[in-house]
Amino acid sequence: MTGPGKQYAIIGASAAGMAAAQAIAEKDPQGRILIFSEEPDPPYFRPLIPFLISGRKSAADMELQGAGPFQSPGLDLHLNSRVEDLEVKAQKVTVSGGKTFAYDKLLIATGSRPYIPTDIEGVDQEGVYALRTLKDARAMAKRIEQAKQAVLLGGGLLNLKAAFALLERGLKVTLVVQSAEVLSRLMEPEDSRLIREALIRTGLGIETGVRAIRIIGSGQGVRAVLLDDGRELAAEMVCIGKGVLPNVDFLDAQQIPLEEGVVVDRFTQSKAPNIYAAGDVAVTFNPVTGEKVMTALWTNAVEMGRCAGLNMAGRPTEYSGTFGILNATQVADQPFVSMGIVHTKGTDYETHIAASSKAYRKVVFSADGQRLVGLLLIGDISRAGLYRFIIRERMPVRSFKAHLINQTVHYGHLLKAKGPGLS
Amino acid sequence: MSQSQPKEIFVRLDRCLSCHSCELACAVEHSRSKSLHQAVAETPQPKRRVYVEALEANQSLPVLCRHCEEAPCLHACIAGAISRVQDVVITNPDKCIGCWTCVMVCPYGVIGRHLEEHKAYRCDRCPDRTVPACVTACPTKALVYGSVEEYSKGIRQTAASEMAAGKRS
Repeated sequence: MTGPGKQYAIIGASAAGMAAAQAIAEKDPQGRILIFSEEPDPPYFRPLIPFLISGRKSAADMELQGAGPFQSPGLDLHLNSRVEDLEVKAQKVTVSGGKTFAYDKLLIATGSRPYIPTDIEGVDQEGVYALRTLKDARAMAKRIEQAKQAVLLGGGLLNLKAAFALLERGLKVTLVVQSAEVLSRLMEPEDSRLIREALIRTGLGIETGVRAIRIIGSGQGVRAVLLDDGRELAAEMVCIGKGVLPNVDFLDAQQIPLEEGVVVDRFTQSKAPNIYAAGDVAVTFNPVTGEKVMTALWTNAVEMGRCAGLNMAGRPTEYSGTFGILNATQVADQPFVSMGIVHTKGTDYETHIAASSKAYRKVVFSADGQRLVGLLLIGDISRAGLYRFIIRERMPVRSFKAHLINQTVHYGHLLKAKGPGLS
Repeated sequence: MSQSQPKEIFVRLDRCLSCHSCELACAVEHSRSKSLHQAVAETPQPKRRVYVEALEANQSLPVLCRHCEEAPCLHACIAGAISRVQDVVITNPDKCIGCWTCVMVCPYGVIGRHLEEHKAYRCDRCPDRTVPACVTACPTKALVYGSVEEYSKGIRQTAASEMAAGKRS
């Protein structure tokens, strides 16, 4: 079916969609690649948008095309074009404005949107944001002009990055976290002492174990946030970071099976003919546990999007799946990496913890101790990539296990364990 | 023909004597002064991008960026800071935001972190030199700079001459 000169349609122009387009352009140079984005901005590195708020980068600094792996010219990019209808049998998409485009191969890479909890009143007021797009970042940057205090709901990475940006702009920032500790998806409360200390050094206010029940407004928009313990936190700006939902509303579940997101096989293809999915919108699998997983990570989206692009261009490529957790970043002055299984409380995983005043390490093995399944590094993150490789390849760890526990593992250990084939 | 073939740094596993000359030469080459005497006094301290790792009591292995064809770091970078320029995978320090995603995905563990500047770094194959500094510095020729073709030809020739000299059976 596939061959040179096909017409490819890609819905969504962020990580997954653009990585797919790049892969297709490499493998099928005669192909025509149509990309539809509902956003008005040309594709950009979404993880950088907090820098627009801090003022460290402009929108132009974040442009995707021409940077990193995204080097392919000649993509037919349609901005302000939301795909409203997909006809699976006729192989056609209809975009806002009514224009229709035929395709040979289609990629659903519509990503996700912020989840806004329904149990918080007053989220529609001016000054309440969820940071997802450049447009959101611009609005937040503008709001800073009339804001002195910000309250951020949710203690995940996205909100932390927004918090640092707002702190840089001189606002008083308070993080309201329902869980017992920040970053609860990436580590357990017992693991996060160094992160918490680093956050406190930045001047960030943190309220854990409480949740917002109402956002109180006045003529100028938001004025305060009411917590469930009765306290009122003054804020002219609120940012909600409570996770994301896949953008599947335009799809007919009768034609494209959904399980929250679009279900795909190992070759990133949905159950509908010639339709693929990648990125936040796709349901993929965890290579360690075999469980179905959805993630909202740039890195995963690029990897999966590239894989989908290769498959669409007629190069069958199996996707290697992804861990539910795969995060690296710097929180204030502390770098950390969290990957695989890191929540071990009450489980029988073999867990090794090393804690000092400067660094924290948690290395997690399967219950029988034969396989590495997870890693948390705070302070010293060197060699983290080797752990990712070992987890994903499900390598037997016996010959170098002590080196994993002590963070002295190096490529030579893998080379010896795997034989010369790895080089 | 072989002139136009892309070159890379090969490692001969049986040759490394763990003298760390490559590491030193690398750090000096990536210093501001490019001289050993001045480099030791520089801040930030010049960093090596090749790592001699002990494998067994008498075997060591120099590890450095392979500039992978499907480079995980290049695709994973959330800032578009990593790209391929003439077969070499390079990190643009102006774009690097120090998020360390590249460190998290590199299966060779060869991406370092400039803590002072909050930037990632790795082997750049010495853009100012014809032959990378580590290769020149290696006294046992455990590091070889050449194309795949040249390198495999070299191995065949070595094997043939050793066989002729009766060193191998």
